[in-house]
Amino acid sequence: MTDHKNHAEHAEAHLREKHLMLDPLPRGRMNEMVMESMRHITWKFWVVFGILAAISAYGLFYSWGVMIAEGLGVAGVNRPVYWGIFLVNTVFWIGISHAGTFISAILRVFKAEFRRPFTRAAELMTTFGLVQAGFSIFMHMGRVWLSYWLMPYPNQRLLWPNLHSPLSWDLLAITTYILGSTMYLFLPLIPDMAMARDRSTGWRKTLYKILALGFRGTEGEWTHLRNAMNIFAFAIIPVMFSVHTIVSWDFAAATRPGWSSTIFGPYFVIGALHSGMGAVITVLAIIRGTMKHMKYFIRPEHFDAIGKLMLIISMTWAYFFFNDYMVQWYGGDKWTKQLLHFHEAGPMGWMWFAMLVCNVVIPWAILWNPKWRSTPWLVSTVGIIINVGMWFERYIIVPISLTINRMPFTWRMYQPGIEIPLGIGTLAFFALLYMAASKLIPLIPVWEVQEGQMAHELKKFGRETVVTVSELE
Amino acid sequence: MSEKFSRRDFLKLAGMGAATTAVLTGCGPASRYVKREPYQQMPEYNYNGQSTYYATTCRECAAGCGLVIRTIQGRAIKTEGNANHPLNLGKTCARGQATLHGLYNPNRVRGPIKHARGDRLYAKANDPFNDNFDDAEPNMSWDEALQTVADALTKYKPEEIGFLMGMAPDHLFDLVTDLANATGINAPVRFGALGMFESRATLSKAAETLFGEARMPFFDVGGAQVVLSFGANFLETWLSPVSYTRGFASLRQAETKMRGKLVQFEARMSATGGKADEWVPLRPGTEALVALAIGRLASEIRGGAMPRVFSSVDPIDVASKSGVKLEALEHIAAMFANSTGALAIPGGAALGQSNGLAVAEAVLALNALADNFGKPGGVYFSPLAPSQTEYQRPASAKEMQDFVQKMKDGKFKALFIHGVNPVFELPASMDFKGALANVEQVISFATFPDETAAEADFIFPDHHGLESWGYQRVVTGSDLPVLSGAQPVVAPYYDTRAAADVLISAAQLAGGSFAQALPFKDEVEFLRGKVSALMGEANGSFSAMDAVAFMASFQQFGGWWKMSDGRTAPSAADALNQNVKGDAAEFAGEGEFFFIPFVSPTLAEAGANKPWLQELPDPTTTVMWNTWLEMNPETAHELHIEYDDVVRVVSEAGAVELPVYVYPAIRPDTVAMPFGQGHTAYGRYAEGRGVNPADLFGGHFNEAGDLAFAGMKVKIEKTGKKRPLSRLESMMGVYGVGLGEEH
Amino acid sequence: MATLNDLKISEVKLSEGEGGKWGMVIDQDICTGCQACVAACAMENNISFVGEEDSGYGRSMHWIRIERFWEGEYPEVKMTPNQPMLCQQCGSAPCEPVCPAFATVHSQAEKLNLQVYNRCVGTRYCANNCPYQVRSFNWRDYKRPEPLANQLNPDVTVRRRGVMEKCTFCIQRIHKAQDQAKAEGREVMDGEFTTACAQACPANAITFGRTDDPRSLVSQLAKRRGHGAKHLEELGTLPNVTYFKGG
Repeated sequence: MTDHKNHAEHAEAHLREKHLMLDPLPRGRMNEMVMESMRHITWKFWVVFGILAAISAYGLFYSWGVMIAEGLGVAGVNRPVYWGIFLVNTVFWIGISHAGTFISAILRVFKAEFRRPFTRAAELMTTFGLVQAGFSIFMHMGRVWLSYWLMPYPNQRLLWPNLHSPLSWDLLAITTYILGSTMYLFLPLIPDMAMARDRSTGWRKTLYKILALGFRGTEGEWTHLRNAMNIFAFAIIPVMFSVHTIVSWDFAAATRPGWSSTIFGPYFVIGALHSGMGAVITVLAIIRGTMKHMKYFIRPEHFDAIGKLMLIISMTWAYFFFNDYMVQWYGGDKWTKQLLHFHEAGPMGWMWFAMLVCNVVIPWAILWNPKWRSTPWLVSTVGIIINVGMWFERYIIVPISLTINRMPFTWRMYQPGIEIPLGIGTLAFFALLYMAASKLIPLIPVWEVQEGQMAHELKKFGRETVVTVSELE
Repeated sequence: MSEKFSRRDFLKLAGMGAATTAVLTGCGPASRYVKREPYQQMPEYNYNGQSTYYATTCRECAAGCGLVIRTIQGRAIKTEGNANHPLNLGKTCARGQATLHGLYNPNRVRGPIKHARGDRLYAKANDPFNDNFDDAEPNMSWDEALQTVADALTKYKPEEIGFLMGMAPDHLFDLVTDLANATGINAPVRFGALGMFESRATLSKAAETLFGEARMPFFDVGGAQVVLSFGANFLETWLSPVSYTRGFASLRQAETKMRGKLVQFEARMSATGGKADEWVPLRPGTEALVALAIGRLASEIRGGAMPRVFSSVDPIDVASKSGVKLEALEHIAAMFANSTGALAIPGGAALGQSNGLAVAEAVLALNALADNFGKPGGVYFSPLAPSQTEYQRPASAKEMQDFVQKMKDGKFKALFIHGVNPVFELPASMDFKGALANVEQVISFATFPDETAAEADFIFPDHHGLESWGYQRVVTGSDLPVLSGAQPVVAPYYDTRAAADVLISAAQLAGGSFAQALPFKDEVEFLRGKVSALMGEANGSFSAMDAVAFMASFQQFGGWWKMSDGRTAPSAADALNQNVKGDAAEFAGEGEFFFIPFVSPTLAEAGANKPWLQELPDPTTTVMWNTWLEMNPETAHELHIEYDDVVRVVSEAGAVELPVYVYPAIRPDTVAMPFGQGHTAYGRYAEGRGVNPADLFGGHFNEAGDLAFAGMKVKIEKTGKKRPLSRLESMMGVYGVGLGEEH
Repeated sequence: MATLNDLKISEVKLSEGEGGKWGMVIDQDICTGCQACVAACAMENNISFVGEEDSGYGRSMHWIRIERFWEGEYPEVKMTPNQPMLCQQCGSAPCEPVCPAFATVHSQAEKLNLQVYNRCVGTRYCANNCPYQVRSFNWRDYKRPEPLANQLNPDVTVRRRGVMEKCTFCIQRIHKAQDQAKAEGREVMDGEFTTACAQACPANAITFGRTDDPRSLVSQLAKRRGHGAKHLEELGTLPNVTYFKGG
């Protein structure tokens, strides 16, 4: 009997240790943990912060200034590779930004409970990733100081942007997405801001007071908030799909071998999720490893869950890649064939193979194993590798594919110039923003975790301990 | 040519007529002709948005194409061809277009300068986009300059004074000739690198041997059906490229006849060879043999007695010596024999060999066989220019060597140099620069700070061609006798002065026979005298009542020409009975590669300082801004040389280092290299760019005295360095480099 | 052979605001690759030179370039007929719809692709989408050292860095001729003016004129030579330049 009891207790303890939702802490304690994770700033933080700030200042702002003053000649773009790493980075960062919405909106809609602790971390990635995407696309412009011409603003001469151009659609889609995702980031933040306001002093209190918008936690407020979040969760999903589809149209709508492919829309979306999930898991591993109390909130179960998603997405990506390749190759257009051959056997062929290894071989080899995919360092390394692979994929689509066109007399390779510091600069600036945010807003949506923990219960049916979740909304 | 004038031409000419007055008032020495008028009616060049067109003559080479320069408010904007000019019929080559980059070149000599020999004439500025004026400041007044010239004329004995002049302009040459005739100073010697590479002496010598007249032959490519070109690069720089290109176009696509064929015999495919229907890579030096063999085979096909000139040649032997298959020779001979309009042209590297004269004779004999003398599609003598009694050719390289020898022997105490850059153009082995050391006083009239100007004691800069008066005799290319007129199209940009004016004024200062020899107020008066001598000629393109009106029309139309075909037929009587030595050429030097220098089709000898010419891709290699060595892919493979590898080319006379262009259309035993770059001065765009093949030339000549520039063998040594060539073409798209294809 | 001097008043009457359909015929059989057109174009249209390094890196600004390839291997090697490649002034131009700023638009009057330098923000999408790769981008402010700028043609805008440019069929000359004709109350005559490249070409390989007028020299040539090819016609770009390849 005691054996049984011991066994049941043991199983229960195991479940509670494994699942955050079953391992509740007192509210006050949890709130305090989150507050402490924000307030706790070590010298290491400042060192890294300083280095990143220096890299951003040089790589992003100074280099960009040089490029604006000198012209795009300081970059590596040429004829025929008119688009280079700038566009690669744009697509890359928009891809990164997809994971946030995917995790918080889709998983919220489908009520995947494991999402709770890391929705905000993912949403932050969305917002900050889009900032980098914006930087990259504006860097790319020859006369960035005139970029406002792309906005449809009323003017005396009735000059409007050209709505035939995929770039105009792009601009609209990205703007919509950045606005929508920022609002969607902000809404669930309100209760946490209120929590933080009540537990801080000084400038923080002022800041949180403003951001909390006077939230007091009344039933009416919660109802409104839930409604708003639901609306946004549903609304942001089509926006998310549309954004990357439209980004893909920049390429697919062009009359170029290798680009005008009808499958680019979903292919790009899945590619975005691929890199986005990889980025989320990397960020989670870093947060868990570096910030106080995060080991409580982010547990191997989360890595396991995201790992499964990554595996499925990797398989889907492989399917789309194969489909795209197959259709283009089978089409038999001589320029497309030339291009596909160039991808594999040209001077940058190594990148093509590296892309397949990073995006397919390594994820499949590691993520099938539950144990391995629950190991934070391992699975986050896979996340990094996937991101490298996805960056390669975009590099192959943009500068390498641009090398080959229908005028062989103009074929020429691309050698990046100032794009490299600029690209590193965006990466550093992303990390910098993220670090700053991690000390200013709770990376863990405390109320969502608490809500989940309240809903979860362990019940005994006979000898079996069973997890139940009550419907909250 | 067409009698019809287009409306545009009419307007243009009407404009020019009025403009003539305007330009006469506007430009430097012409200010004497000012007719003062109230400013109610502004000169037309003062109107906003109105262009004024001035007819003049191109000075980028000596061919003498007529230009019409579009100017706006006193600035020259655009070169257009003079549509009525019989030589170029409104067309120009790339160099003619870029002449404005000479006029507005950032590095010009801006005024009279006295300087120590070898000193820089402009700051070393390798940045092509550097905006600073960095030319040497003029440090003399023109009065001092004139006195210097006058002193030089009087201080030395007449026979100690020499004039070295370029192939253009002719009016200055005439003026100096007059001066020399009257005062006993040495007759001016003319030279130009283009003339050297065209082997003009060889052509006229061959004409003399075969036809008894030392004249410049004209090959009517346009009227022919089959053209055999033995190395003649007539679509690039040869003699009169614009006119020959027009001929080529009508060879191919004239409305009234079948499409003609071009067969090019040369070891390295030139831009002309690239356009040929058949390109025959023969062993350098065997051109004469091949021509004779074709003549023999063609005679056999035609039947009848074997002409003496072809009788001793053995086609089978020729085939083995030249590397051209016997079948190919037979096929070409058949084409030649069966054609009603067969023509053979000698030129280019074929003449620049030890047996160059034999090549010219053998090829002219082929024409005799085709019996095309004086017939459409055949060989003519170019018309002599108006008021010219005999063809004057520039000095051959041999004659230049004698000239340099005289300099070295101290025979010249004062040397005047105009319009030529011998330090750059002459073979380095002749050591013109060294010879200058034995000349007490060197006075250059250079417009640009070139290598020769840098070695002079004084530089009294002449105007740029577009700021100059003058005329140029059209030597070849037109069926009409043409005296092409030049006039300033803009006011001189700098404090320069026409060399003719300088000489006239200095002669006045010098007094005595000098003053009597040049009794003119200025250059324009001299010109008017020369030009108005044509007033009495019948059948001219225009006539006038008095000299002033005649001169005005001369300016307005851009020259004067006779309206009757001035070409004459060479007498073919003895041409087939010559004894042409058909031996293969001899080659100097020890290397294993034949060496073929060729004039860069885009730069020619003096284009390197014009940035847009530098940025024009070479027609065959598409290389810009540099020199290259062409090498067969097989040879490169054997030597383990890749494209852009820098190699050292060693000849008996010197060595240069330059990157390799792996060129698919060159014999494996031959390397080739363009002439035109490798300047050590001459402005920021030219200096320090590429290398000069003249550094490799030894002092070997053919029987006519022309330089055997292609009569050398060179060694190739690897250096291990790499220097990427700037090309327009894609290495991937054109040569498959890096596409992953199997080699 | 018909020459530019054989003037003909156009048969096709144009309505107000129309300027005819301009086109070009290029005879590759007689093009010698001499680069006169390239130089003439650069001089007429204020095209910057970019220096050795940039020109070797695919940044040269030529509006017209002459392409040539090789066929076969030594000794049976042949140079393919020179192919002057310039903006084909497509009737249905791929560059036009992709510009977000309407900087490259189709002109109803001249039936040409216009490039509005002032409106260009430099996304370079048009250049990517140009199947002929004939657009050049101002990668830098390529300076013309003084006094080279004296040569600039005041009829043509000087472009700054970050702006796309391309062949305009010398639209400034078209306009000048049209203005002149209008002032004189007549139609523009064939051969009254021509583009800088056609004007310079020593071989007369380039002919420019109105393709909608059957009596113009371009139409006559196209008819006489026959078998003209439009480059990459299969893309449906409706180019306005016709090429004649061989004999």
